[in-house]
Amino acid sequence: MNDIVWLTMRRMRTPLIALILVYFCSVFIIASVPGIDPQGAPTRMTYLEAAYFVAIMATTIGFGEIPYPFTDAQRLTAYILLLPNVVAWLYSIGTILGLFLDPQFREVLQRSRFSQRVRGLGDPFFIVCGFGNTGSMVVNGLMHRGLHAVVLEKKAESVQRMFLDERFQRVPGLACNPASRAHLELAGLSAPNCRGVIVTTNDDHANLKISITAKLLRPELTVLARSENRRVSDNMSSFGTDYVVDPYAIFSERLFLALSSPVKYLVQDWLISVPGSTLREALNPPTGRWIVCGAGRFGSRMLEQLRESAMPFTVVDVHPDRLEGFEYGVLGRGTEAATLLEAGIKDAVGIIAGTGDDVDNLSVILTALDLNRNLFVVGRQENQENDQLFDASGAHLVARRSLIVARRILAVATTPLLQTFLQHLVASPPEFAERTAGRLKSVLDGRAPNLWVVDLRGNMADGLRYAREDGVRLKLGHITHNTRSEDAEDLSCVCLVLERGAQRIFLPDADYELLESDRLLFAGRGSARREMLWGLSDANSLLGYATNKQLPRGAIWRWLWRRQRGAQADNSSE
Amino acid sequence: MNFEKVLFAFFIVLALTLNFGFFLGDIDNPAHHDAMELGAALAVSLIATVVKFGDRSQMGAVLLATSLVADLQLAVAAFIWAYAAYAMAGGVDSVIIARVVSLSGGALLANMVSVTLLVAETIIIRR
Repeated sequence: MNDIVWLTMRRMRTPLIALILVYFCSVFIIASVPGIDPQGAPTRMTYLEAAYFVAIMATTIGFGEIPYPFTDAQRLTAYILLLPNVVAWLYSIGTILGLFLDPQFREVLQRSRFSQRVRGLGDPFFIVCGFGNTGSMVVNGLMHRGLHAVVLEKKAESVQRMFLDERFQRVPGLACNPASRAHLELAGLSAPNCRGVIVTTNDDHANLKISITAKLLRPELTVLARSENRRVSDNMSSFGTDYVVDPYAIFSERLFLALSSPVKYLVQDWLISVPGSTLREALNPPTGRWIVCGAGRFGSRMLEQLRESAMPFTVVDVHPDRLEGFEYGVLGRGTEAATLLEAGIKDAVGIIAGTGDDVDNLSVILTALDLNRNLFVVGRQENQENDQLFDASGAHLVARRSLIVARRILAVATTPLLQTFLQHLVASPPEFAERTAGRLKSVLDGRAPNLWVVDLRGNMADGLRYAREDGVRLKLGHITHNTRSEDAEDLSCVCLVLERGAQRIFLPDADYELLESDRLLFAGRGSARREMLWGLSDANSLLGYATNKQLPRGAIWRWLWRRQRGAQADNSSE
Repeated sequence: MNFEKVLFAFFIVLALTLNFGFFLGDIDNPAHHDAMELGAALAVSLIATVVKFGDRSQMGAVLLATSLVADLQLAVAAFIWAYAAYAMAGGVDSVIIARVVSLSGGALLANMVSVTLLVAETIIIRR
């Protein structure tokens, strides 16, 4: 705000001085010229009349000659004064208009509006650096989950596009270099309700710098960063970036999971899908020889995973140096039939189109499917605009960089417990995944589940506290039940993890006892979530269900009830 | 059937009915409004408040708040009546009775909210 006042004052100094000088001189001159009243008696304008007349004249409003028609002398004076006054006014107005159009001034104005809006955010928010495809998906996802976002983006057009988008009307955004400390501070890095920094610019070096800055200024803050380069990823992890999202690594790990354990892949996919979308069917990538076109950042990771799962493969790349060290390598782009035939497409089971160019990848997919209809096809897509093309190409799996990063960041940022669960899922034997899949399937109606965390603290723990007072042990089954109903109506949800201090219990059973300050992650239908929160906030129905008795409602009755129960206990002990 | 539940609903509804009975009639006609009925409405409203103490259900806090509002309005009405009857020369005339009845009208509204909440809760919870 101070910047704006200061800048205005500095720019307006000369025009304002000119205006004041011209105005006051004119008033003195006009007031000193003699005139006559209608009776012919000599008179002079008062200073008020003179000031009024000059103001009317200078602004070209011109109400006329006041208080009486002018004499020739007065008219001559007014005629001479007219020009300097009008020019002084136009000069001032011109300068002010110029100031409003000045890019520097507008930047200051935008910045001050931005920081005001950031300070006005009362709820927890994330700072999102970079508003490209990934950034916009992340912000959208955050808002869907009831969280706020503040956007810093280098390109002014992207910020402008955000302001025009209806979904992001209330998101504060600033076009600036997000890697600067001052801009991060402006975006509320030191605000107490800042939950974390999400770094998704497409420049690895900028990502690195933002992560370092955020970690140095607020070490306790969660920093989630995107990186496509292994060296940068390692660097980021080394100074404590909480989660480094490497889309190619994530995708190749997921493909490996799909190859090694389809059920684990399926459960993982269900849990990270957009809530309400159709559940994916089982994906069964075949085992046998694979062809990998392009051994760059994406391809090399896929090759590693294939090697790890002991699959034979042939590499196709235009760079001879990339083929070194591979047993079967074919030089070429892979977009032409000859290269693919040389790579043995006829007896291959799958192909990975992993070059850096979308059109090349589409061409590889089409050519390959033309030569061998039974291929399992994996495509890499770089540009979001080609969504429909890849959907229509017949690829079984498409690696969409922005989507992979956005989904992973959202999952980690909004439900950290989910990440814990997914790690456990990957590491544990397949029986665990099958058990999870079974439980999820029984409560879901073919749609991806909502995820929610119940933190048994504060109001949420009221039921637990009252239960302990009454000597009742609350179990998990009590809160996954519709406590309002007298029928045996279980809520359509599954408890994935129970976190108690450092201890984590995966897929706890219904008779697992709940304690205060437990955190639970649930997956299920949205209606189950509402019902569960209702039940937790209404201690009376919860306890009524848990004890299967009508519990006293008011304080007086409770007191009588306890006395009576105490008396009964005394009688039975005697 | 639970005896506490019966008593709970009984006092809440009785507070409303007594309040309504007192409110009924011309607003400025002392012959239409009975001091005993106002006293009874106040007493029952206070009992209903005490019954609601320590309620831990979802609606408990709102139920208690409506009762407190009714108490406040009825207490002020009763005070005005008593002050006019004993300390003012004119006694309970049409101006005073209009004030008292309009205050009890406010309490009536609060009691209605209370009963509505009670009914809503009974419908929501089917156990």
